[in-house]
This record gives sequence, structure tokens and C-alpha cells, in this order.
Amino acid sequence: MSKGQESSNFIKQSAKAGLLLIVVAAVTLEATALIQYFFSQRGIKEEASMRAQSEMEVTKLKIIDVIDQTETAVRNCIWIASWCLEFPDSMKAVTNRLVKDNPVIVGSTIAVVPGYYEDTPLFAPYSFIDAETGEMSLTSLATEEYNYPGQEWFKLPLKRDAGVWSEPYMDEGGGNILMTTYSVPIKDVSGRTAAVLTADISLDWLTNLVGKLKVYPGAFSLLFSGSGRLMVGADDSLIMRGTIADFAARQKDSTSYGMLSRAIMGGETGSKSIKVGGDLTHVYYSPIERTGWSMSIVIPDSDVFGRIRRVGVVVGLLQLLGLMMLALILRAVAKNQMKYKELSDKKEKMESELHIARGIQMSMLPKTFPPFPERHDIDMSADLVPAKEVGGDLYDYFIRDEKLFFCVGDVSGKGVPASLVMAVTRSLFRSVSAHEQSPQHIITAMNSSMYDMNENDMFVTLFCGVLNLTTGHMRYCNAGHNVPFILTDHIAPLPVIPNLPLGISPDMPFEEQEIDLHFDDALFLYTDGLTEAENSNHELFGEDRLKAVLSTRRSAIGHLRAMQDAVAKFVGSADPSDDLTMLFIHYLNETKPDNMERHIVLHNDIQQIPQLAEFIETIADEKQLEQGLAMSLNLALEEAVTNVIMYAYPEGADGLVEVEAILKPKELEFIITDSGKPFDPTAAPEADTTLSAENRPIGGLGIYLVRNIMDSVKYKRNDGKNILSMTKII
Amino acid sequence: MEVIINKQDSTTTVRFIGRLDTPASLEVAKEVEPVLQDASGTIILDCSEMAYISSSGLRIFLSIRKASIAQGGHVIVKSISNDIRQVFMMTGFLNLFVIE
Repeated sequence: MSKGQESSNFIKQSAKAGLLLIVVAAVTLEATALIQYFFSQRGIKEEASMRAQSEMEVTKLKIIDVIDQTETAVRNCIWIASWCLEFPDSMKAVTNRLVKDNPVIVGSTIAVVPGYYEDTPLFAPYSFIDAETGEMSLTSLATEEYNYPGQEWFKLPLKRDAGVWSEPYMDEGGGNILMTTYSVPIKDVSGRTAAVLTADISLDWLTNLVGKLKVYPGAFSLLFSGSGRLMVGADDSLIMRGTIADFAARQKDSTSYGMLSRAIMGGETGSKSIKVGGDLTHVYYSPIERTGWSMSIVIPDSDVFGRIRRVGVVVGLLQLLGLMMLALILRAVAKNQMKYKELSDKKEKMESELHIARGIQMSMLPKTFPPFPERHDIDMSADLVPAKEVGGDLYDYFIRDEKLFFCVGDVSGKGVPASLVMAVTRSLFRSVSAHEQSPQHIITAMNSSMYDMNENDMFVTLFCGVLNLTTGHMRYCNAGHNVPFILTDHIAPLPVIPNLPLGISPDMPFEEQEIDLHFDDALFLYTDGLTEAENSNHELFGEDRLKAVLSTRRSAIGHLRAMQDAVAKFVGSADPSDDLTMLFIHYLNETKPDNMERHIVLHNDIQQIPQLAEFIETIADEKQLEQGLAMSLNLALEEAVTNVIMYAYPEGADGLVEVEAILKPKELEFIITDSGKPFDPTAAPEADTTLSAENRPIGGLGIYLVRNIMDSVKYKRNDGKNILSMTKII
Repeated sequence: MEVIINKQDSTTTVRFIGRLDTPASLEVAKEVEPVLQDASGTIILDCSEMAYISSSGLRIFLSIRKASIAQGGHVIVKSISNDIRQVFMMTGFLNLFVIE
């Protein structure tokens, strides 16, 4: 991917992220606003309803108060009206009194049931306040054209035998005043229904009381009569003209108007929302008991929610503005960070790759401690801390054939190049030591491989050891590495021949050494990162501090932890200057070895035979073998080794013969190993020793001697090697 | 290894001093070449100071013996140690030589 693509991708990515952020913010804000709006709306609606209802309640109480006053006044006159039946002329005094004493009552009559008085069929004196003069006047309703017995106010109370409020009506004669009449039946002393006492009340005050009610600026109130006629309303022309049901039927939205009118007419309390001329309007309604009337308050929706809607719009606009600013800021930030991001991306990528590399590098090293929990003859622990993400130190170990192969090494330099060489070195150690027993061979083979591929003049110091866990015998070879410490009853440097590091010279010989470890002896191997750990005063950790830590008795892992702690304490806040590697091997085999091992490596040169003789002589001395047996062994070994020297390798080629002697109490075993062409001496024909001198062949005696001297001779070919193993019982 | 060859009349004495191992035998084989050329007389192989013998040493003994037989001579092996006698026995050389 090119840089341009990368950055344009980055811009896309951040634009995407920014957009997402804005969308999320917008959605969150809007959702909050909506929820808030929803709850406010509900609250406001409830408040509107409460206000409407409480206003209606107050108005109702005032109306009922008037109704009560009227009813009470009328009822108080029932007895005297009844008494007056005997004295018809005194009736006008009763009605006059009723009108006079009760300002709300504008007219009153006692209308006698036709036929009650035999001489006069109709009798109804009527007292009233003259609308023009305001004076008390008297008239009679007993006229042909009025015919009071046919009027509802007269018939209903008689029919129901109870007080009845009439449907409100316009008093056309009295100046177009809205009126209503309360009528009660009057009985005479014998209990016969004789007359109807009435009180007319003007409903003028209702217009004031109801009409002035203003819950909201655009709100208005309505009062309907029991038959659904408008008693008080916004439009005077509609008053007492037709019923609400007729009105509803004429509306476009007749269904909702119909429902509303039925609710009002049914005397229900509640509210409904309808469209009035396209505007949503809320109608609250409640009946006025006893009168059969119903009051309504009509509030336009815009009045109720107008304010909160305006607030909502303002809030929404502010949010939009905020979001736009956020978008601009994000854009600016994204642009500013682009360059930095490009750099940090690269750095991050590299760091993550280095981190992976470190993982790979660490996974090459054995890291389970204790590494051989099933074994009681060895306790060991290792640790590697790279100064950078990856390092050039290494350690490795494994057990094969009861031998512990181990190494600690340090590649020159640090960081990635060193880590690559480290990986190669570790692989070489594993592959070479898989079929070599001798540290010298391992180191020599590794050196020649590393020299061949060393084009960057890097070198590796390496200490390689092979510890026979049965005997405690350790063979080791040091290629220029730090001298390890051996812990016996005291701490001392292990005697080492320095040799050259690996990868410097192709044919420099590496010398091998050996030592016997005893029960409880230990080895401490390390890289110079330990002794050269530097504190902020540029002092080095050094060997004395190292020895001080080792002088306390601890487990292998305990030693390494103590060492790490000591280094950390010493170094303090200073940066680690070099990779630090440690390997601690504690030899714990208590059983006294009943066999020992010796070995020698010879070149394919016949002049090396005296060294073999010396080797055998040492063994013979050690085992205190009698001279004859020693000589026989020498002879057998010489014959077998000579065979290899003379015939295994091509003419002029350099080759090695390794002789390993395992000395058991009752038996000696010799293993001769070479890498020459396959040859099985045990398959050679038996020499005939009975032939006469003339007939005897010159050769063939060597193998014959080997077979005769040794108690068993076995051959095997393994890993490209001839392995001849011979035992002699002693 | 040192070989001292001493010829008196028809008797040649070859004295082996030290270890007659393989590398030594390579040298000794050259040194005893004249003895093989002239093997019609008595050849005494003096082993009193010989500490060791390998198969290549035995081959030299055998080649001397073969030359001697071919030329009608005698070979006498003198003063071999018990250890070397063992080797001679093992290889059937006791039957090939007159041992004194």
C-alpha cells in the first residue's frame, strides 16, 4: 500500500469514525430530547387537564350555589303557597315576596291546576322585574294565547310530582334574556295537587361566569343545556339554536364530533381531542349535577404545547449547531493528527512485529522450570532478559541418554541482527548435539557452519557442556564465553581454556576439558549482561556481587530470582544496557557412580595410536588391571581403531575416531565411533589359525584378535556413523 | 621402537626393543627388508625387550617366516614374555615358530 493510499484511507477511516461519532451524538441528543419532550408533553397535558377540570369545578360550584339558593327559596314558599290556595288573592304577595327577596329570581308565579277553582278555570298571578324599568310588576299568565297548562314548566312538575328545572329558554318578551325556571307542585291540605309554584332565574350571570373563563389565551368555555343547546358560548348567534348533536352531525369529522356530543349529553366527565378548522383542539367536559347541563372548556392544542414546542425547536437548533461544531473540530483534529498517526502507525507496526519476534525467540528456549520435575538428580533453572525487545543471548538444554546437554551463548551486538544469529546458533546447537556426545565436536561443527555463513562479521561466544547425570562427569568446551562459576564447598571460576568465539576462524582447534561433579555441586553460567549491568553511576555489577548472591544456599530458581533482584536493586532506574542470561545447574545425584566414563578422540592418523595406548594404560591403572589383560585390551582397541584409521575414510581425507570407555565394576565397555564409510568388522570371515605359515594370509589377524580378546563385539550403523561396541568382563 | 639387526655368519639376530604397535610396524617393515632378502640361514627374533605386539607386528614375523621357508632357513623366536606368548597362542603363531 502506498503512502498516499494509506493516508487517504486514514482520512476515510477518521472521517468514518467522526461521522459515526456525530451520528451517535445526534441520536443520543435527539433521543434524550424526545424522551424529555414526551414526558414534558405528558406533564403539560396533565396540567392542562387539571387546570380545565379545576376551573370547571369552581364554576360548577358557583352555578350549583345559585341553583341551591333558588331551590331553597322556592321550597321555603311551598307551605305558604299551599295555604294561599284558600285565599287566591294573597298569592301575588307570595310571588312578589319571592322575587323581591331573591335577587337571582326575576319572576315567579303560582299557576293553579285548571278546574281547581270551580268558577275560574285558569288562575296564575305572575310577579316579575320589568326588564326596562327594573320595577316589580304583576301580570297574569292565565291568558288564552299563553295557555299555561300546555307549558312544559307546568306539566313536568305535576307529572313527576317533584321540583323540575326547565330547559333554558330566551325570554323574548323580557329583552332576550336567557332564563330557566324552577317549578314545584303545590298540594292543598287534603293532599290534592293544586298548583305549580315557579321561580324564573336569569342566566345572564352565567355568560359572565362561564364566558370570562380563560384558562389559556385561545381557550373558551361552553355550557350546554340538558337537550344539548348552547347556553353560553363563543358565538352568541348560536345560543339556544339547535343542539350540539345537530351541530356535530353537520361537521366534516362527524364521527369524533358525534362521540364528543354523546359524551357531553351523556353527562360524562372527560376530555376529547378533535380538529376544529384543521387545528387540533382539546375539549374537557363535565356535567353540572341536578341541572342536566354540561360545561366544556375548549383549548387549542397550540395553546397547550406552543411553548414547549418553541423550546423544543430552540433546543434542537442548538443541538444541531453543537453537532456541526463537533464535526468541524473532529475534522480539524483528524487533519492535524494525520502526519503523527502515519508515523506512529509505522512505529506501532514495527513494535508489534518486534513483539511477535520476541515471542518467537522466547519460544525457542526451554522455559518450564523446573525443567525435569520427574528427575531428582538435577535441579536447574534459566532466565533470559533481553535489553531490547529481541536479544542475542541464548541458552538451551536437553537430556539425551542420561546426559544433560547445555549451552549459554552471547551473540556480538544487540537487537534484531543479534536475535537472528541467536536463532541460527540455537538451531545449530540442537541439530549438532543431536548426534554428538562431545562438546568439542559440537563446538567445532557449529563453528564451521557459522563461519561459512558469517558475512557480517558477527561472532558468538558459547559455553557448551555435556554432563553425564549418572556419573557426574562433565565434558565441556568454551568458545570465548564468560567463565562459569562452580559451586562446591566454595565458589570458584570453572577452569576453562578460553578458545576463540564461534564464527571467527574456520580451522582454529577448540579444546575440550572435563571435570567430575559430585553430589550438591552446582554450576552457574551467565552472559556479560550480568557482571556488566550498570547503575546510574556507571558502576558495574561485577563478580563480587555475583558471588555474594551465590553464597547463600537456594534452589536453582531461587538463585536466579535472587540474582535478578540483586541486579534490579543495583541498576535502579538505569536502562538495561545488555541482554542478561543465566543458567543454574545443581547436580543432585547422590548414588555413588559404579561406573565411570573416559573417552578420547583421535584423527585418522596412524601416528595417534600411541595416544590410544596411553588412554588404555590410564584406564588399566585406574581399574588396576593386570598387565596381561591391559595389553590384550590395548591390542584389541588398537586393532579396531587401526582398522578405522586405515580404511574408514578416503585417502587423504581428515576424519575422527572417538573412543569411549565405560568402566563398570565387572565389565569394561568400549565404544568406537567414526563417520567413515559403512564397515561391519563382525561380518568379516574368521581367520584360520591352524594353517601352516606358507598358507596363512598376511592380513585378517586384527579383527581376529579383537574377537578373541573381547567377550562381545557388536556393530551398528547409526546417524551415518559406524559404532563398534566391545565389552570385556573383568 | 627400535630394531637392531645383527648378522654373524649365517645367523641373523633381530632385536626388538619397545612396543611393536601399528605405527612402529610400518617403520620396522622397511628395516627388516634386508632380512627377508637373505633368509636362507637362521634368523633369531629376540623379543626379550619387546613390550607389545600388534597384528601388524605379527605380520612382520609371519613375512619373515614365509621368506625363511621359501629360502630354506630357520626362524627362532627368543625370550617372549608371557603376555606376548598369549597373543602367539591366540593367533596360532606358537605352531608356526620355534620358540625358545
